[in-house]
Amino acid sequence: MRRFTLAFALATTMLTSVAGSAHAAGTLIWGMPAETDTLDPHATGGWSTYQITYQIFEGLVKEDLTKADAVTPALVPGLAKSWDISDDGLTYTFHLRDGVKFHDGTPFDAAAVKFNFDRFWDESSPNFYKKAKAFVIAYTKWIKSVDVVDPMTVKVTLTAPNYQWIRQGLQSYGQPLMISPASVKKYGNDGVALHPIGTGPFKFVERDQGVKTVIERNDDYWGAKAKLDRVIFRPLQDPATRVNALENNEVQMVTTPPWDEIDRLVGEGFVLSTNKNVPYINYIALNFKNPALQDIRIRKAINMAIDREGIAKEIKHNTSRAEYGMLSPGTDAYDPNFKSYGYDPEGAKKLLADAGAKDLKLVFELPQYGTGELVETWIQRDLKKVGIDVELRKYEWVTYMGKWAGGMSADVAMNDIGWGMSTPAWIDVVTRCDSAPPGGINSGFSCNKEVDKLLGEAIVTRDPAAAKTLYQKANRLLMDDAGYVPIDDDLQPILLSSKVKGFVNPPEDWYDLSTVSVE
Amino acid sequence: MASFLIRRLVGILPVILGVSIVIFLLVQLAPGDAATVLLGPQATEAAKAELRQALGLDQPLPFQYLAWLKHMLSGDFGVGIATQIPVTALVGPRFLNTLILTFSSLLLAMAIGYSVGLFAALRAHSLFDRLSMSVALLAGSAPPFWLGLILVLLFAIELRWLPVSGMQDMAGAGGAVDLLRHLVLPTVTTALGPAAIIARIVRSTVLEALGKPHVRVARAKGLGRAALLRRHVVLNALPPVITITGLQLGFLLGGALLTEVVFAWPGLGSLLYDSITARDLPVIQATALVVALSFVLANIAVDMINAILDPRLREA
Repeated sequence: MRRFTLAFALATTMLTSVAGSAHAAGTLIWGMPAETDTLDPHATGGWSTYQITYQIFEGLVKEDLTKADAVTPALVPGLAKSWDISDDGLTYTFHLRDGVKFHDGTPFDAAAVKFNFDRFWDESSPNFYKKAKAFVIAYTKWIKSVDVVDPMTVKVTLTAPNYQWIRQGLQSYGQPLMISPASVKKYGNDGVALHPIGTGPFKFVERDQGVKTVIERNDDYWGAKAKLDRVIFRPLQDPATRVNALENNEVQMVTTPPWDEIDRLVGEGFVLSTNKNVPYINYIALNFKNPALQDIRIRKAINMAIDREGIAKEIKHNTSRAEYGMLSPGTDAYDPNFKSYGYDPEGAKKLLADAGAKDLKLVFELPQYGTGELVETWIQRDLKKVGIDVELRKYEWVTYMGKWAGGMSADVAMNDIGWGMSTPAWIDVVTRCDSAPPGGINSGFSCNKEVDKLLGEAIVTRDPAAAKTLYQKANRLLMDDAGYVPIDDDLQPILLSSKVKGFVNPPEDWYDLSTVSVE
Repeated sequence: MASFLIRRLVGILPVILGVSIVIFLLVQLAPGDAATVLLGPQATEAAKAELRQALGLDQPLPFQYLAWLKHMLSGDFGVGIATQIPVTALVGPRFLNTLILTFSSLLLAMAIGYSVGLFAALRAHSLFDRLSMSVALLAGSAPPFWLGLILVLLFAIELRWLPVSGMQDMAGAGGAVDLLRHLVLPTVTTALGPAAIIARIVRSTVLEALGKPHVRVARAKGLGRAALLRRHVVLNALPPVITITGLQLGFLLGGALLTEVVFAWPGLGSLLYDSITARDLPVIQATALVVALSFVLANIAVDMINAILDPRLREA
């Protein structure tokens, strides 16, 4: 027995002698909550995938993600050094940047842009990729034609004016980013996933699915070169594992840290980064097909019964902020002073009494993220206090997505989700009458013709200030109907090792890593 | 012996076919589909239909299954729906990683289980026996994800001896020592439960063998303790012990899946989790088949060893 103990001690000493081996200079290892899907930017819908593809690929126009304080990231030249919009709002002329090369040496020019639009939009092109079309459709459905004017100029004509169109092309679903045409020809449309070749500040190195994705600095980048040598993206699904890996310096950055661990880790010297203008919102959709919710007083009572400030403070440890409207703080139409229904349980009880609601029982459908569904349980308790019994029906994520996108059945009263975009035109997608399922995702079938009219006007309004007024008006009308219960928006907490410098937490769900360095 | 082996190997075919059909149907029965997951919340019905068509998911179920079977028989497991990476390239390395963890855990479980069990049987009702069997009961009941976290807190976070996650130091050079360091905590976590079960079975079978009349006769005839143990006790106690060990291999494959999540060990477990959440049928199928095949083969191996040890079993 003693010999065994000795052998064990020896082995442990040998193994631990190499512990804490020096990390390569300038390497950032990022612990992510999930594995990303395909690295083909035209054929993915995941925002976590965009966190990687954003570093490798670029579009004609970019969002400036180096300013943490911006309400909405400014639109800045990407692979187009400038662009003009015709007076009728239909024609976009992009003047392309000279001297840019893809990572494989292919020159970037108007033919390359046309090739990419052909791939995700033009069904008649031999380069067309059916999978890409399905993802980029929200952007391409506006396109009438794409023409090469000269080797460094491209003209895109829309079917109707849409002043949110550029911003709609900068969201995470179906990213219209530029892929090297030579690489697509060499590896085929399906081969882009394993050979992602763009023009961005980082080049793809390798992917070991489920283990890591590695990118390295592109020393031939046309703009400010990245500071890091390498970035390694690691999927670490278990929140406790993510935190442990951060504490043990196996990763230097973790996204979606567990709320109740944040204070402790900050106390230990880790840096918490948040952003107050995130372009998404956690909200409940109330079901207009549910008999009990036909009465607006009940919908209002639900809004007034929920203590959102408590959720932000007690559950999320101040890493979220209570919200009272459907426009997220990451859009330029956000109005921080707009408060639809404050926390007023007594007022809620009175409204319920006026409506003659007794023994009200409501079904609440929600996804199971593995976080214990604390927020929904809190809401269930708040509603119980005003006399509404809520049954929580939890579903695994994929099942939930199907139910949510399909619209609620009449026996269900509410469901919840968190998402959004950096364009206020997002509320078109979730609230318009013609966005109701099937065909749309207005899950609670809310419909207000006046809202639709305002949203229709807003999208063809060129003046941002005028558009903002229209969106805010639509938002007020929506909340007057009380068909939605905005809950809160996460402040995008990210935990960093104190060795990480220059990280900017922008008002987007993906980050520009070219400014980051690791000491 | 050869016919015994052939009979067992032929028996694999219906098992594999059955598993593939059940998995196929289970995934189809689950609500939600790959197109909805991949496209995200903004997807239009038209876009979903387009994607389903592009992925071949719009075909009738029997056609989808037969197409998959045909490709599988020619060694083509298809391409992962979510990642566009060939399934064999996804499953192969992951399976190897799970095997590394499973076999290191099995070796540790056998080393602990056999030595503690035998020692406890020989010193039955001693302090060691009582203590070790109580510890075995506790260790056997501890869920691996809890045990794993406790070990991580102690050996990685507090003492800083061992790493927390993965199979290699991402910024280091890798190598065998690096792998061994990463292997220690997951192996201990996975092995303790099976080790406890093996120890208890070894103890009881050896105790039972010790009390058999032929052992008492041999002892009465003055046979030495070592020879008595080797020839009459251990040999007779082996078949049940080997059967239990073989069953533990199946448990380890499953138990390793839980451990994999806690330690971010890139094995079949996390791949299966990812592919189920993405409704990635080709990957789910291949992973389930690999696990089922391993389980069946492990059991055949156990039967073979038992048949070699005990000729009476070959007739069965």
